[in-house]
Amino acid sequence: MFDKIFPPEKIVLPNGKTVLEKRSRTPLLFIIVLLGTFLSIRFTNFDFNVLVKRGHEFFVIINDMIPPKWDYFPSIWQPLLDTIMMSILGSTLGSLVSIPVAYLAATNMIKNKVVVMVARLFLSILRTMPTLVSALIATFIFGLGTLAGTVAIFLFTLAYVGKLLYEQIENASLDAFEAMESIGMTRVQAFRYAIFPQVLPNYLSTSLFCFEGNVRYAAILGYVGAGGIGLLLNEGLGWRDYASVGMVLLMLAITVFLIETVSEYFRKKLI
Amino acid sequence: MNAIEKQLYAKPRSNVYIYIISAILIGLIIGSVFVIDFESMGNSGWTIAKNILLGIVTPDLDLLLNFTTQGVMYLLLETIAIAFLGTIIGVLLAIPLAFLSASNVVPKPISWITRLLLIVIRTIPSLVYGLMLIRVTGPGPFAGVLTIAIVSIGMLAKLFVDAIEDLDTSIFESMTSIGCTTFEKIRFGIIPQLTAMFLSIGIYRFDMNLREASILGLVGAGGIGAPLIFAMNSYRWNEVGSILIGLVILILIVEIWSNNMRNKLVRG
Amino acid sequence: MIEFTNVDKVYPNKVKALQNINLKIEKGEFVAVIGLSGAGKSTLIRCINRMHDITHGSLIVDGTDVGKIKGKEIRNFRKRIGMIFQSFNLITRTTVIKNVLVSFVPQLPFWRKMTGLFSKRHKLKALTALDQVGILDKAYVRVDQLSGGQQQRVALARTLAQNPDILLADEPIASLDPVTSKQVMDDFQRINQDMDMTVILNIHHVEVALEYADRIIGVREGQIVYDGPAHDVTEEVLDYIYKGKAEEVKQEMDEEGVYV
Repeated sequence: MFDKIFPPEKIVLPNGKTVLEKRSRTPLLFIIVLLGTFLSIRFTNFDFNVLVKRGHEFFVIINDMIPPKWDYFPSIWQPLLDTIMMSILGSTLGSLVSIPVAYLAATNMIKNKVVVMVARLFLSILRTMPTLVSALIATFIFGLGTLAGTVAIFLFTLAYVGKLLYEQIENASLDAFEAMESIGMTRVQAFRYAIFPQVLPNYLSTSLFCFEGNVRYAAILGYVGAGGIGLLLNEGLGWRDYASVGMVLLMLAITVFLIETVSEYFRKKLI
Repeated sequence: MNAIEKQLYAKPRSNVYIYIISAILIGLIIGSVFVIDFESMGNSGWTIAKNILLGIVTPDLDLLLNFTTQGVMYLLLETIAIAFLGTIIGVLLAIPLAFLSASNVVPKPISWITRLLLIVIRTIPSLVYGLMLIRVTGPGPFAGVLTIAIVSIGMLAKLFVDAIEDLDTSIFESMTSIGCTTFEKIRFGIIPQLTAMFLSIGIYRFDMNLREASILGLVGAGGIGAPLIFAMNSYRWNEVGSILIGLVILILIVEIWSNNMRNKLVRG
Repeated sequence: MIEFTNVDKVYPNKVKALQNINLKIEKGEFVAVIGLSGAGKSTLIRCINRMHDITHGSLIVDGTDVGKIKGKEIRNFRKRIGMIFQSFNLITRTTVIKNVLVSFVPQLPFWRKMTGLFSKRHKLKALTALDQVGILDKAYVRVDQLSGGQQQRVALARTLAQNPDILLADEPIASLDPVTSKQVMDDFQRINQDMDMTVILNIHHVEVALEYADRIIGVREGQIVYDGPAHDVTEEVLDYIYKGKAEEVKQEMDEEGVYV
């Protein structure tokens, strides 16, 4: 397309040979980015003056968070535990359910194109839905509380692990699978014994990685009433009780750090 | 004991290890089942679920295709604008931080402190930034832009650092033999290597920021999130349907575009 | 003309890389430096364009006393000497022509250096250089999509665009397969004959050296132990250069499948 609007330049060498030089895309890209920035500034009422005048407010808040309110700790640990448990249950169930869905979405396992397409569409739509939005919908269906949060995490894990898993299944070697089919196994059995062992380490590692991220997500789900520590964050920020918010954030940072360290250790062992 | 039995018992011992890990995992899962409260689901849940599905199947088409400031199209455009500007500012802030934390550019202590700062920035959830920044700028998309910018810094800087530390410095040797100065080596040896990588990372983050921007409305920081939560709270499921459809389609399109662009940039 | 007089090179860690080198290379010669790895081949070549400083003695290249120049003089001096490396040293993420254009960077005015826009004259020169090594059609392809042999030709074109008087090559075919090695060596030979350019290369493959070079310089433990025409190199000479390991070196090469 681009080359039709701006035809390539013809360069003639001294010895008579010619070369076509495609026009550089850089200027066009530059103009698009500049225009995009300008329009975005108009759209979002971005105002540098406000930033200069009131920017320090942000640091005032951060300053209020230090030192954190230590004696807030007893009321934190229960919601924190809820958050972690929500992530564990949601991630585990999500990873388990993702196996059959990924099987259905892999073109080398399922020959029926319609089934593959439906499974992929299902995964794409789930993956696109921001976790907070699915949590919000879940609170309407399952009521306020941890169940809604677990469902939201379950759905996200299912979509994320499912997508990576079906890609791995498609890349797996089919030699053993065909051999097993030839000795009379069904396709599902052959999948279980020939393909699954190949993708297992990667699958476990992906699930763990997803779990790490889920702890972070779970922390904010409380904001829409889906249980966990997010509720405290919402309250603290609402009441401008920044020292408590600081404490919650500190605990959250420690938890996330610990979980990431442990999970990273196991992921390295797997690969 | 015959040879076969010997082989049977000679199976590697890692089983014990796997059993212990599995036991811990199962214990945690059972524990979590008790923590999650299943009572909260009332009978109305199924009716609402049915209504939501109905709403998605029969979306409010007027709202979906409406181009006024209340319509889905406008709101999506605003969400894109928030994500775009946020990504640009995030990239501009992340580049100096990335160089300050690259161990092959600055001394060890400086890189260490910058890395710690980046971890702290990354740990705080985006909604918290959103709520804090609303206190600075007042509610609206402006707060959203700033939130997206700050949230992006952590990941952008980390990926930029990886690119910087992966630089192919063998080109320096040949540029020295050509007679280039240090400035020329940076301009023609480093920048061409980095621009493709940085652009690709920026596009990747824009894709993520679009999702991020779509939920910021929940705290009043602009974008499509706020109308979504209003529509839900007043049980207008057709509106919810049209907003969700618009959002999912937009995110899918941007994801496909971003994957294509990044493939082109990285593989040529 | 390149003239080494009593040149010594001692590395900061006290390793004597070169000892008492006396050497005269006339314009238009095709010289191959052979020897075991670590014998000082690479150091010898890199002294010529001052990638390494010499410790004692004098080294005159086309009238310039290489040991005495500094700063900007070194950079200007290097512009007249092209150099090719084992690992090609290209910017793989950009196009072939941009890599070749790098050789004009030192002579650009400031605004062109900032914007990275090259003049038509430079582009023509770069394309001509690419034509000389036979990869004109790849000019706007990204380097990472080329084969190893093609990448080495890009490096060669970059050096030719510099229009140097002397071409140095440090193990130019060590990471190439036999067929592409032959093509690259043919390129060197053509450049040497057609453009009367001095070519000095150090090389691991003795057979290739003997086939292409007019003159062989044998280096052993930092000293020149053989210097003479390629057709006078006998088994004994090789044996001496390679400390009696000539058979091993040959065998090693047979295993690598070198047959050119």
